[in-house]
Amino acid sequence: MQLSGIDRNRRLLTAAAGIVLAAVMSLVLIIGFRLATQIRAGVAMLQQASELETYPAVVAEQLTALRQRLDTLEYTGRVHAELAASVSGFDRDFGALEHQRTLDPAAVRAATRLWRSYAPVLAPVLAYHGEPYSDTATSSALSRNGRVFYAHVRRAELFAAGHTAALHRELATVSGALQAQTASAAARLRLLLSVGVLAVLLLGLAAAYLQLARARGEHAARAAEEQTRDILATVREGFFLLDADYRIGAVWSQALTHLFGRSDFAGLSFEELLRDKVSPETLNTAMKFIKLLWGDRAHENLMKSINPLGQLEVSMDSGRGGKETRYLQFDFHRVMGPGGVKHVLCSVGDITSTVLLTRELHEAQENAHAQVDMMLGMLHSDPLQLGAFLDGAAASLKHVNAILKEPARHHGEFSKKLGGLTRELHALKGEASALNLMSIAQRVHHLEDMVAELTSRSELTGNDFLPLVLKLDELLAHLRGVREMTLRLTALKEGPSAAGSADSAAPSAAGAVGTGELGTALHSLARKLAHDHGKDFQLTLNGLAECPSAYLPTLKDCLIQMLRNAAVHGIETDGVRRAGAKAGAGQVRVDFRRLQNGYELLFEDDGAGLLPETLKAAAVHKGILSPEQAASLDDRSALGLIFKPGFSTSEQVTMDAGRGAGMDVVAKAVYGLGGKIGVSTHPGRFTRFKIALPAISETAVA
Amino acid sequence: MSNAPDTVARRPVRLLIVDDSNIVRRRIERSQQFDDLQVVGTAANGFEALELARRTDPDLVTMDLTMPQMDGIECITQLVRLKPAVRILVISALADKATAVEAMERGANGFLDKPFTDRQLNEAIAELMY
Repeated sequence: MQLSGIDRNRRLLTAAAGIVLAAVMSLVLIIGFRLATQIRAGVAMLQQASELETYPAVVAEQLTALRQRLDTLEYTGRVHAELAASVSGFDRDFGALEHQRTLDPAAVRAATRLWRSYAPVLAPVLAYHGEPYSDTATSSALSRNGRVFYAHVRRAELFAAGHTAALHRELATVSGALQAQTASAAARLRLLLSVGVLAVLLLGLAAAYLQLARARGEHAARAAEEQTRDILATVREGFFLLDADYRIGAVWSQALTHLFGRSDFAGLSFEELLRDKVSPETLNTAMKFIKLLWGDRAHENLMKSINPLGQLEVSMDSGRGGKETRYLQFDFHRVMGPGGVKHVLCSVGDITSTVLLTRELHEAQENAHAQVDMMLGMLHSDPLQLGAFLDGAAASLKHVNAILKEPARHHGEFSKKLGGLTRELHALKGEASALNLMSIAQRVHHLEDMVAELTSRSELTGNDFLPLVLKLDELLAHLRGVREMTLRLTALKEGPSAAGSADSAAPSAAGAVGTGELGTALHSLARKLAHDHGKDFQLTLNGLAECPSAYLPTLKDCLIQMLRNAAVHGIETDGVRRAGAKAGAGQVRVDFRRLQNGYELLFEDDGAGLLPETLKAAAVHKGILSPEQAASLDDRSALGLIFKPGFSTSEQVTMDAGRGAGMDVVAKAVYGLGGKIGVSTHPGRFTRFKIALPAISETAVA
Repeated sequence: MSNAPDTVARRPVRLLIVDDSNIVRRRIERSQQFDDLQVVGTAANGFEALELARRTDPDLVTMDLTMPQMDGIECITQLVRLKPAVRILVISALADKATAVEAMERGANGFLDKPFTDRQLNEAIAELMY
């Protein structure tokens, strides 16, 4: 901007120099022309003057020749004519000289006077005509007229002889004056030409200097322009100016191309820049904000604090046909001019990596917290129990993996896969919760969410399962980490300080190792569920030691699920219980008995019980039954609904219940062992599950 | 900036506090440290605020955005129409920048995020009034 002012001055100077040069040259030429004319006239006159100088001698000679011709009686006509021509030529030339104003009049006057004095004596000579001789047959002599003529000639000859030198001298003076005059004019011309040449040289120099300076200025401007271009091409931020119409100026940094995937920024409006990249609401807010920047209330700090584009989530073409999410940071600085805000300088940076890093950091922190929680949980659990869980989990996930790898082509197969996944994951989550391994439970929960999302889709392809596989890998890695930590903790616990009791919680079950762990796990889960759901209940376990080890894993899964159901659906909150005049804390009882021809498990809670109508409504809502089917269902069959896959009465999905995988898993497991399951209930009073399992002949309980 | 600059015999700044929480209202009134600032009224919602503004002619209004009956944005709009010269300091837990931009567009002059410190409050007032 500054350069152009200097440039303008320089251009003006050059123009002025040119005009002066032209004026000087014209002046020099005009004067020179006049001088040259003068000199030419002078030279012509000088020639005339030097010619004039010869006249007196010529006249004198001609008079002498005339007299000699008269002496010898020769023909005088030609000489007389020559004399007349000389005299008239002399007169003519003299006249011209007299009219020359530049000559010294005194010198000319003297010569004129002298020449005029010739006239009286020359006049009779020139006036004579006719033959001056009178011829006879034998001799010739001057006639009478001839003698008069001779006397005139003789007088003129003598006069001329007496005056020729003087006249010649006078004429020489005139010629000298003329010469001097011409010489001076020539000198002046020389001087003038020298001055002209000098002036031209000076002006030429000035012009050359200005041209040089301009070239230097232009070079500097070009260099500055190049530097600006280099800066704009290299800088990692996008820079541009917005004008009062919210349009981008002609100068912008190259980084914009990469940031926005286009290059037609000049003249583009800010709205067009962001359209298709952000939601209409965000765009609306952004435009309002930009407009505010031009207002008088917009202080830099204030505007910075409410900048809605400080971390803008934009969706861009990834270049591979898809869309990717990036985070851009816009900063605005107002450029003030004399009349208020001139432009708004906008800088844009891609802060995607920063945002993602922050997020990762946050997640890592959460993970660290979860791990600390987990470690605390592990410290309270039996290492053997943990080990068993981890083995079980690994096997379970292997199964999940197998399900994922099963080939599937049409929707039915996909649905079947998802069903299998749901059940497997749900069981795993239950066990993890029971052991207070929240980091694992949360991950499984997340997986369940993804499966649920897929289940709700109408169209499925094999690719949709890909994220699941990734998440599963992550979970497996986490499990490995947990196992490693368990080993370390075990080593720590078995160190010198923990030589005594290893059993921290309920040391009641001293029977089989497996059942003791199970009791501890169930009590721990019960406490956690009570805390998480704000319920108050007590868990009583009886006869679990009777359970043969072959049934133990299944029994564990079933009990965990039923305990969760009881805590979430069965036991009421304190307020509800008090309103229903129930005694204080809820009761959950588990009785395991060995019968003659097998085993029996009773699971009972004194909670709200199951309402057939609610179950039917839920089944209709889930699409398991049509309204007509539901209406025709008797109460007993309605209770059986809870064993149907995908059935759940809880509206909200929580970590512990509501996905609909629950009692169907339990039932399936029981059937798998050749057992039976039944349910009885009294609304408002209790829910009781009865599981019958066949006897195992070869496995005796220790 | 924690204290008001020397005051040259001028009318005290008349402050109207608008917030639906009496705790916040008390907090603002107690925390301001300006000698020439006079609290001329406190309002718990937009209607009260407009009524008080009509009666007390405040110079400065601290404005909550989420209030029952008439929210801050609507109140700012009407307040600016009523008293074009009044300066409005929005004191709110600004969940999103869109709300701030909206408030600014309607006529707010400054923003203070909840929760705030005494120092932040005084700086925000000083920036608007001194």
